[in-house]
Amino acid sequence: MMKRILLGIIALAVAAGLALPQAFGQTLPGATVEERAINGAKAYIKKHNLKNPTLTVLQNALFKNAQPKYDRQWTKLTGVKIKSIPYGYTDIPSKIMAEAVAKTGQWDVFNHFPYSIPDAWGAGVIQPLDAFAKKGKPDFSGIESGLRAQQWYQGKLTFFLLDGDHLALVIRKDIADLARKDYKAKFGKEPGCPETMSEWEQMAKYFHTKKGQTRWGKKFDKPLYGSLAYRSINFSYRHFPAYFGGLLFDKDMNPKINSARGIQAIKEFASIVKYMPPDVQGWGTPQIYPFWGSGQAFSVMSFPSIVGYGNKNPKSTIKGQQITCMVPGVKVGGKLVRRSPQAAGAGWAVSRYSKHPELAYYFLQWLTAPTKGDEIIADPKGFWDPMRASNMTNPAVVSKFSKQMIKTTLANAKVATSLLMIEGNYEYFNVLDKNLALVMQGNISAKEAAKRVEAGWNKVTEDIGRKNQIKAWRSGVNSGAYIDKF
Amino acid sequence: MAEAGRKRSAQRRGISSWLAQERVFRLIPFIMVEGLFLLLLATPFVLTVYISLLKWRANRPFEMAYFHGLGNYARVLSDTDFWWALGRTFYFAAVAVSLELLIGFFLAMLAYRQFRGRRFYITIFLIPMMVVPVVVGYNFSMIYVDSGPLNQILAPFLELFGFNPRIRWLSYPAAAQWAVILSDVWQWTSLTFLIFLSGFTALPQQLTNAARILGASRWQIFWRVHLPLLKPAIVIAVVIRSMEALKLFDQAVLLTFGGPGTATETIAFFLWRQVWQFNKYSFGAAASVVLLVLFSGLIFYGIHLLVRERAIVQEEQPL
Repeated sequence: MMKRILLGIIALAVAAGLALPQAFGQTLPGATVEERAINGAKAYIKKHNLKNPTLTVLQNALFKNAQPKYDRQWTKLTGVKIKSIPYGYTDIPSKIMAEAVAKTGQWDVFNHFPYSIPDAWGAGVIQPLDAFAKKGKPDFSGIESGLRAQQWYQGKLTFFLLDGDHLALVIRKDIADLARKDYKAKFGKEPGCPETMSEWEQMAKYFHTKKGQTRWGKKFDKPLYGSLAYRSINFSYRHFPAYFGGLLFDKDMNPKINSARGIQAIKEFASIVKYMPPDVQGWGTPQIYPFWGSGQAFSVMSFPSIVGYGNKNPKSTIKGQQITCMVPGVKVGGKLVRRSPQAAGAGWAVSRYSKHPELAYYFLQWLTAPTKGDEIIADPKGFWDPMRASNMTNPAVVSKFSKQMIKTTLANAKVATSLLMIEGNYEYFNVLDKNLALVMQGNISAKEAAKRVEAGWNKVTEDIGRKNQIKAWRSGVNSGAYIDKF
Repeated sequence: MAEAGRKRSAQRRGISSWLAQERVFRLIPFIMVEGLFLLLLATPFVLTVYISLLKWRANRPFEMAYFHGLGNYARVLSDTDFWWALGRTFYFAAVAVSLELLIGFFLAMLAYRQFRGRRFYITIFLIPMMVVPVVVGYNFSMIYVDSGPLNQILAPFLELFGFNPRIRWLSYPAAAQWAVILSDVWQWTSLTFLIFLSGFTALPQQLTNAARILGASRWQIFWRVHLPLLKPAIVIAVVIRSMEALKLFDQAVLLTFGGPGTATETIAFFLWRQVWQFNKYSFGAAASVVLLVLFSGLIFYGIHLLVRERAIVQEEQPL
């Protein structure tokens, strides 16, 4: 008996001795995240004896001018060619879902936003990356929890994020300076970043100026709109969480919007529209950015890259005249709550039907690694926004965005919250957008809209399956992607 | 080896001679047509009906779909957004097709007589129909911008009557609906023009001459002679354009993406959104079947009108 036990112990020791180095050996060689990704790709190519390996990327067309430079660098470093096929970002989710149904294996990488993950994951087209990450050891340090958590879905690493696309408020320094004295006399404080949404509206009202008016010693040949923000279908939902200031559902997926707080949020969301350009309900980024650059608005709530546009675009009339602010908050139980929704957030996922998911993974790890990531965020042709603490000390990033902007964006990142990360999110978004539009057009009251949104959301939840939705919602909330807890 | 070869050639001869029999030979085209029908029409239709009976969103693998009976149909029929989109589409179609018929008829009336440069004008009138809808959408989005050419042309007239000369074509719900309608009218008046032009060209000259000899005025000739003879062309134009207009999609997407709000969300756009944005494949399939049934009624009525008109014309034709 003793002999058997002794033999067992020896066998276990031998197995452990063999397994331990192998376990350590799983981490790829390389001192940096980038080096490990490159070494991983080279080892993979060698192991599988690949000739002319190619990865096909479903590329967000917004980045088609900036991305090729990095694709070429990767090819040079590893020999892996990147075939990039650009599509508009509104088309990409349906392309991903089509791949989920057809399972062609034509895509290796999907370049989109985190909120496209839930449906794609449910459809089984997204490759979990945890096993590869174990080897590659990516580094997500310096990224605030609200942004970092968006890379996981239901506890699995599914997405690499490289874009702090959480909303910021930007105001005009030159106009604020002009009105400083008058504003202080009227409101008892200097014009600056507003604390709350209602204060922002108050500022918008004050600065709203008609064409031909002379104010603060300046004649306005064009109108100056007090505010500017996204208010069209497909965009409103990206801003609304900032007005709601908390979780949109309780732990059992019951909507919280049909409440005093929800109605107030809808009212505030719609009320400020009267100080925006009348066309704003039909506007997206192609209209909002140039309008802001033309100098016809006092304030704008937008993706942070609008600051880069205002400073660098040749046609901009507001260069050096922008103050980036933290997103205004709302009062919840007497406490100021700021929530900066991650309105887009470019990043990458790997297709489960890719022939070389591991190889695709290394490409993404390299792209989003701390040093390479900073270089990409600083790219003048790109729309990637600061998101890592290291951006603050990177001269190229500072030169593109200014220290003040990065500092504010990183402060906003602390309150950055994910958009709804559950299956069917587009349908939830659309229910909200449609009803917000009706309120903005004066067709229904905020109370009625809240009621309709609640009913619409419940309908979507039931259609997809409440049990499934509760699981995903709770998992998301527990991950910290929404900052708020139940 | 030689034996096997002989067997094969005997078999081939057998098949050829069987195919050469008249009763078999006569069936070949029928079988081919039926085969194509099954492949191209029946299979996708049956598949659509099958999917409409399942509970399946594409955010779940197809393997997880399950039989749902008529549940999707019940959801479609109780969906107010579906009915609103359908109503909106009928409204767009009614207004757009009416304008296309009127303008197309008027242009054809002008262009069917011989005059200098006739061919040139006919070519010009036909060009819009040949433009890719995406290009039409893009061009009109440029035309409709606030400081764009349309507002600049309209400004003097609008100011004269004290109206704001800056119409926000794509931002106000009613204006956006007209923006979509007008771009459709611009593109498809060409088709009604072509149909009416062929109708006018085919008018028997002797009837017009006879009416003139009998002392009929121009108006009487038009009203009593030309218009009745043009009825088949009118019915063809109404049926073809109505069927097309009910599928209005491109302009609604390119100009307004269904907005502002849902002001320009047509039924085709609604369906696209349900399937491609919300991944509700089985709901979309059920909605398609419902639409097919609704539109089939209209199509059959249209065909019935066509057949009736043709019969009347054939009866009235002099022997």
